[in-house]
Amino acid sequence: MKTKTLLLGAIASASLMFGGAATPVSAEKITSEPLELDIFFHFRDKYGWDSNWPVAQEVAKQTGISLNGLAPTSAGNSRELFNLMIASGDIPDIVGGEFRGAGMKEAFDQYGMEGAFQPLNDLIAEHAPEIQKMLDENPIVKSAISAPDGNIYYIPYMPDGDVARIWYVRQDWLDKLGLEQPKTVDELYDVLVAFRDQDPNGNGEADEIPFFARHTEEALRLVTLWGARSTGSDTYHQFYIDNGTVAHPYAHENFRTGITNVAKWYAEGLIDKEIFTRKSRARDELLGGNTGGVTHDWVASTAGYNTKLKDQIEGFSFMPMAPPADVNGKVWEEHGRIAVKPTGWGIGYSNEHPVETIKLFNYYFTEEGRRTANFGVEGLTYDMIDGKPQFKDSVLNGDGSVVGQMWEIGAQIPVGFQQDYEYERQWTNEIALKGIEMYSEGGYVVDQFLGFAMNTEEKAVYDKYWPNLLSFMQESYEKWILGATDVNADWDDYQAQLERLGYAEVQAALQSAYERQYGN
Amino acid sequence: MSAVNHTKRHTTSEFDLPELSVQEKIIDSFKRNWQIYLMLAPMVVYFLVFAYRPMLGLVIAFKDFSLFKGIWGSPWVGLEHFHTLFEDPFFWRAVKNTVIISGFSLLFAFPAPIILALMFNEIRHQGFKRLAQTIAYLPHFISIVIVAGIVVNFFAPSGIVNIILTKLGMAEPTYFLTKPEWFRSIFIGSNIWKEAGFESIIYLAAITGVSPSLYESAKVDGATRFQMMYLITLPCILPTILIMLIIRIGNLLEVSFEYVILLYQPATYETADVITTWIYRQGLQNSNYDVATAAGVFNAVVAFALVITANQISKRLSKTSLW
Repeated sequence: MKTKTLLLGAIASASLMFGGAATPVSAEKITSEPLELDIFFHFRDKYGWDSNWPVAQEVAKQTGISLNGLAPTSAGNSRELFNLMIASGDIPDIVGGEFRGAGMKEAFDQYGMEGAFQPLNDLIAEHAPEIQKMLDENPIVKSAISAPDGNIYYIPYMPDGDVARIWYVRQDWLDKLGLEQPKTVDELYDVLVAFRDQDPNGNGEADEIPFFARHTEEALRLVTLWGARSTGSDTYHQFYIDNGTVAHPYAHENFRTGITNVAKWYAEGLIDKEIFTRKSRARDELLGGNTGGVTHDWVASTAGYNTKLKDQIEGFSFMPMAPPADVNGKVWEEHGRIAVKPTGWGIGYSNEHPVETIKLFNYYFTEEGRRTANFGVEGLTYDMIDGKPQFKDSVLNGDGSVVGQMWEIGAQIPVGFQQDYEYERQWTNEIALKGIEMYSEGGYVVDQFLGFAMNTEEKAVYDKYWPNLLSFMQESYEKWILGATDVNADWDDYQAQLERLGYAEVQAALQSAYERQYGN
Repeated sequence: MSAVNHTKRHTTSEFDLPELSVQEKIIDSFKRNWQIYLMLAPMVVYFLVFAYRPMLGLVIAFKDFSLFKGIWGSPWVGLEHFHTLFEDPFFWRAVKNTVIISGFSLLFAFPAPIILALMFNEIRHQGFKRLAQTIAYLPHFISIVIVAGIVVNFFAPSGIVNIILTKLGMAEPTYFLTKPEWFRSIFIGSNIWKEAGFESIIYLAAITGVSPSLYESAKVDGATRFQMMYLITLPCILPTILIMLIIRIGNLLEVSFEYVILLYQPATYETADVITTWIYRQGLQNSNYDVATAAGVFNAVVAFALVITANQISKRLSKTSLW
């Protein structure tokens, strides 16, 4: 069996060497003998590692290590496939991917500490200069990916850029009503009222929906206009750090003011009445129906509606807008891209070639490896122009989104690598780029908290109390927004109930995790 | 040994059957009826693989379970997960909601297919009967996700239900799906719409089995159609109804969780959160398989007790029972 794989590997690499001789092999190979390793890798519930990916073959050619994917290359539930692999006890040489939602970091930490994955700290220090350099330059990344025992069990995927969800407003409506883009929360209120009352779409009916969003949580995020928080990171409902203290947004005193006002706006019809059930259809229905006025959503996809609806709605112009200043006069944006995603890849305990494997991981942090992971294969998806990678027209104007095309060939997948924002800039439309520029230059986006690494005791406390706490908080704020009960009448009972449900215990557990992880 | 017995058996008189050991009886029976055993085999294998073997996994309810350490490698924690469950006010709320939703389902959704079957039975025109039945079956074949989508749309503030209500003079549209007091009615009502037609098939089949001579003699005695329905048809299909009832009681705690998840909001947890959705949020979303299993064990124990009780009651009242 062993000789057979070696032989196959030799033939494969030989054919690659002679067949793909167009680009000279610049980097020194990691192994002189071709090496084949097994990899479990599945992401987005859709893609499994495929050794036929052009990028996988390119990397094999550059490094001499080819990876044999064990996860199905077809659709499936990534988390379940991962769990099955773990439960079998048979951990492949390399394990990685991405779960829907989050949780891969916790899996790496937990099973790593139980012995399923090899600690990478020494391997990185000895054999992976590029990764070491990245960690030295970003100590916070090192803290974020370290397990509670201080070891690193995975190399993370690191997105680039910081702008994600931003404000959009119907500029043509503003112009029609003779209004300016709102600069403060009060001006925003006036604009929303005007959208509601002054029939900006001109159909004679009061069918305008001033503020709408695809997620109920975006209505909740309006509390940021009163200086409160709705989450600490790029996912909803997360803890945040308030001057070195771990706090949950919904338990904080200033959330009360925020949610009181959100409830008032909802009652006044400034927020989509159906926001709780409209969900993912919101943009299509309300922008397409010429009734939606303001939203807070992903910068690129929302800008896309300008092209989509150009012919259907006369003068349609949905433009980025800077966040209105909150009641304290501060202009800030809560949502941004996180610097480290809780995804990536690690080395299984039974891997007999850890040194070669970490060198392969290191390759992805070299200039060449990073370019391949971001742009794909030179000549196939991009060309070098003035020493910089530029996507070919066939990709920019190809079928489906560019990122979709990249996944199909094995680029931009959540292995441990640093994303290069340039890849995205090349296919982002101009309106979105304007928004990104506006937010970057203004420095509006607040730092996204990178998450906790809880030890066993802390995790036990968190697991015991947190699901109920979150359910209770969600239930309460939805009732307040809907006006079923009154915030100010409920608030003391609400706080008391949070205490009964173990808020203090969870906070203490996370505080100790935070101090161990990020404290110096 | 058995060879000796065999010869002995054949030498004895053919009217004087020999005494067989248990082992021989089994082998003998198997030889004679092997075709029947062969037909039985798939079901036995099915139960062993899909029902009995997974039961071994229930031990993780008593363990601090880690997928990597495996079922036997994870440390024992005794009844800790059950303590977590029973001390949890939201778990008891979920139990309460499950019982209420199931109870109302039993009250309203269980009789619905019976009534529907009786009504189908009274339709004279064959063509219309077939058409009506087909229309009643159809919703069963629609995926639950689609049904939920339809329900969400119909009951939205701008949906058809509110349009009709406002036309009838109601002042403000109601946002039904965010109101806890409406959840049960919508959930059970839409379930009846979806399943009543299909479930009526079994009762229609039972009605077909009722002897026509009973109706003929009743007609001679001058019974009305309505009297025939509740004096002949209903008593004749009562055993079927009772068996269906016992089965239903066994599934009393199994509220269709995917449908609840599609319809509920945090705002309606108060009446909508059932045991299975609680397990989903508490256990599966956070990978707490051990606590989720403990809740599953609790669920199974209660369901088991319910089936036994229902079976006993049915046995005593009508001599009809599952065992």
